[in-house]
Order: sequence, then structure tokens, then C-alpha cells
Amino acid sequence: MDTRLLIENVLIPAIKVGVVLGVMSGAIAYTTLLERKVLGFIQLRLAPRRVGFHGILQPIADGIKLLLKEDIIPDRADRALFILAPVISVIPAFAALAVIPFAGHSFEMFGHKITPWITDVNIGILYILSISSLGVYGIMLGGWASNSKYPLLGSLRSAAQMVSYEVPLGLAIIGPLMMAGTASMTGIVRAQERLGMWFVFPQIVGLFCYFVSGIAETNRLPFDLPEAEAELVAGYQTEYSGMKFAFFYLAEYTNMVVVSAIATTLWLGGWLRPFPNVEALSFLNFLDFISPALSGVFWFAFKVFAVLYLYIWIRGTFPRYRYDQLMNLGWKWLLPISLANVVVTALVLVLKQRAGG
Amino acid sequence: MNGLAALFRRFFLVELFAGMWITIKNHFRPHITIEYPREKPDLAPRFRGVPRLRRDPETAEELCIGCLLCEQICPDDCISIVVDKRPGGKGKMAKSFIIDYERCCFCGLCVDPCPTTPITAIYMSHDYELSDYSRQEFITQRAALVDGHPIKRYEK
Repeated sequence: MDTRLLIENVLIPAIKVGVVLGVMSGAIAYTTLLERKVLGFIQLRLAPRRVGFHGILQPIADGIKLLLKEDIIPDRADRALFILAPVISVIPAFAALAVIPFAGHSFEMFGHKITPWITDVNIGILYILSISSLGVYGIMLGGWASNSKYPLLGSLRSAAQMVSYEVPLGLAIIGPLMMAGTASMTGIVRAQERLGMWFVFPQIVGLFCYFVSGIAETNRLPFDLPEAEAELVAGYQTEYSGMKFAFFYLAEYTNMVVVSAIATTLWLGGWLRPFPNVEALSFLNFLDFISPALSGVFWFAFKVFAVLYLYIWIRGTFPRYRYDQLMNLGWKWLLPISLANVVVTALVLVLKQRAGG
Repeated sequence: MNGLAALFRRFFLVELFAGMWITIKNHFRPHITIEYPREKPDLAPRFRGVPRLRRDPETAEELCIGCLLCEQICPDDCISIVVDKRPGGKGKMAKSFIIDYERCCFCGLCVDPCPTTPITAIYMSHDYELSDYSRQEFITQRAALVDGHPIKRYEK
């Protein structure tokens, strides 16, 4: 009996953490390839295709290159913080993956019931918000510890930008939270299943605010002011090289994946297929014959990559914002819109309750 | 545009979506990159590569009559010709014909005055892969002018 407890409470979660970290690292590595490919095609270029068939091994080559590169620590940098900063930005990014439900149905394996998420806490979304806002410390410390002007300016910008955009981001999330009546990530998806449609339809404004803020939070184009190469060389990453630089990039792409996963869970129905309550479309869960969890994973991954594609598409389309424009957009547009979204959602919910009860 | 339509366009971010429509269209257009050493670009018929000499396509006889017009017009002085009597026939021919490819500026002026008909003796070829290990190699003798400058490949 004791061994069973040990397996279910220690071994299985450990394996799940390992699987999620491994699969996610691979997915993130291939997100870089996806990005380079899509950007290349948008610009009528070929994109990497020398390493392996159509460049399929490019991420591995990049990884090896970054591992073998000289790892420079500037003379006057704060050594401890300089080394710590990339780690601080990577850990929260990966930690946020802990509460994301990759599929809805648990499955049996070797006589143990396994849930396709690492943990399901009833404050999942709050956990993600609090963990992901720690990522800004990595960037700030990296800029500060480099003891150089461009990184410092870049990290200051980054701090201001991330603090500003966290507000509309948080407010945009409140819409689906109110509609679901729970902050648990699985609970939100189940609420969408009960409602019979994804929250993207009633909450399109919220998704818009969330996505724009999410792009700003992850420092991606068109909001990549912290690393604007025309002005700041490479921002907070200027003094970094080798594996530490790779860690910053890993953090950035992990954050992208996390933002996409949250958008998928909260607005796009998580593991649900399109029109989850229409029986005629149940063939869309075509992986059900193996396991319902597998088709859940398929739809989840499909949606996450669709959102990632949108990310890259936007990067390939829009030029970088000026700094004051960025702040204007955040405080004067996204914040009021997301606030109005919260108020309207609350009003509609209350009115519906009155009408129903 | 009247005010209401402008407001509509601003409110629904029409211009932003128009931009995204352009990029997604580009995504599915064929690429314009040429993977050069493996693929060669399509050259225009009048592309000006290095000037070369040619023989009569039917009789394989030297076309050049040694009139020195190309040598005179060349702005870079890269053509040098020694003229001699044509063996067993009327007129003259070039005893030696040298073009210094290092100095050639690909202007094509040498082709314009060439009097041989119906095709000119000197012509702008489609050769553009010129690289070699020494400057001496670019001083091209007549045999190489007719057969083409040999392309040296890098060998490990």
C-alpha cells in the first residue's frame, strides 16, 4: 500500500514533469524553426533548409552551436547576478506549464490513473499570472548585472513595458474567469464544454486584449522594444553569449508557448474539438479510438500552434512601435477596453442570472 | 473618405488586417531565392557576360578579320591583337587575340563595331563565373576565348 502511494504521489508526477519538460523543450526548439520558416516564406525567401531535409535539424544544429560557443562574462559585470539572470527568466517560464491541462480525459497506464496535466489547482490562472510576472526579474537583473548602457536601457524599458501590460492582461483574463465561475484551468475548459461553445465567441474583445498584451509581455515584435536592435543593439541580451544567451531565448519562446496555451485554454476551448456539443462533428476527435486523451492533446497542440503561427504572422507584418506609442496603447486603449469588457461581462451575467432565477 | 467610414476603419483596425492579408498572401507565393551554385538564374538573351570569340558555325573558320576596331574602341584597353595574313586565302586574321578579363568592364562596346556578317566575331557570352587563383589566369588567349574560360572549382 505504501509503495502505491509513493508511486502515485512522487513517481508519476516526477515522470509527468519530465515528459512535459522534454516535450515542451522540443516544441519550443521547433517553434524557432517554425518562426524562421514562416518569416522566410512571408518575405519570399527560402528559410533554413541546409541542415537535414528542408532544415528539419536546424534547431538541433543551433543548440549545438550555442553549447559550443565561448561563454563570455564581462570584466565589470556582477558575476553572480549575471549568471543568475538567465536562470531566473527560464524557471518561471517553465513553471507556468505546471497547471496547463493538455487533455481532458485521464487514462490508465500500468494500473494507475494518470491525468494529462501536472497538477490542477483551483487557483491555476492566478498561479500562472504570479509566476510569469517573476520573469521580468530575470530581464531586469540581466540588464543591471551586465554593467553596460544598452542592457540597462533595454531592461528598464522591459520592466516598464511588462508592468504596464500586465494590467490589461490580468483584466482580460477576468472575462472567462467570470463566465466559468472558477480559476481552475480544467474547470474553465469544462465550463466551455457545458456552455457548448468556446469562450472566444462571447469574449472576443477579451481575447484581443489578452493577445496584444501577451505579445507585449513576451517582448515580441511589434512590441520588442527591450531588444530593439536599431536602438539598443540587443537590449538586455547584449552582453550575453553562449548558453546564457540561449537561456534568455528559451525563456522568450517558452513564454510564447505559455501565452498561447493560456489563450487556448481560456478562450479556444483547450482540448475540446470545434463545436464540442455538435454530435455530427464527433469524427473530429479521430484519435478517440486510441484514447480520448490523445485527441485532446491533438486539439490542444493544434490550437497552440495556430496561436503561435499568429504570433509569427504578426511579427512578419507590423513594424516596431515607438516607446510612447506603446505606452499609449497599453494605458489609453487596452486598459479601458479590457475594463469595459469586464464590466459588460459582469452585467450580462447578472442580468442572465436574474432572468433565469 | 467621410468621417463615419474613417471611424469604422479605425475601430475595426481595417488597415492592420489589410497588412496581415498581404503578408499571408506572400506566405503562399513561390519564393524568389535562387540557391545559386545548385540552381542557375535564367539569363536574359542580351545578358552581357565576358566577351568571347566565335568561329563560323558552318565552316569552323576564324571569323575575326583582324580589323582592330574592337581594340580601338575598348575603353579599358583590355584587348590586344596581333594581325597576320590569312593563310591560303584573301585578307587578314588575328595571329594572337588576347582579352584581359581582369580589366574588362563588360560594356559590350567591342561587339558594336565588329564588321563580320551575319554574326559578329566577338560577342558577349553568358559566362559570368570568373574566379581563379592568380591574376595571370585572366589574361585569356584565343583558344580560351573560343572555348570559354575554364571554371576552376574549389577542391579540398
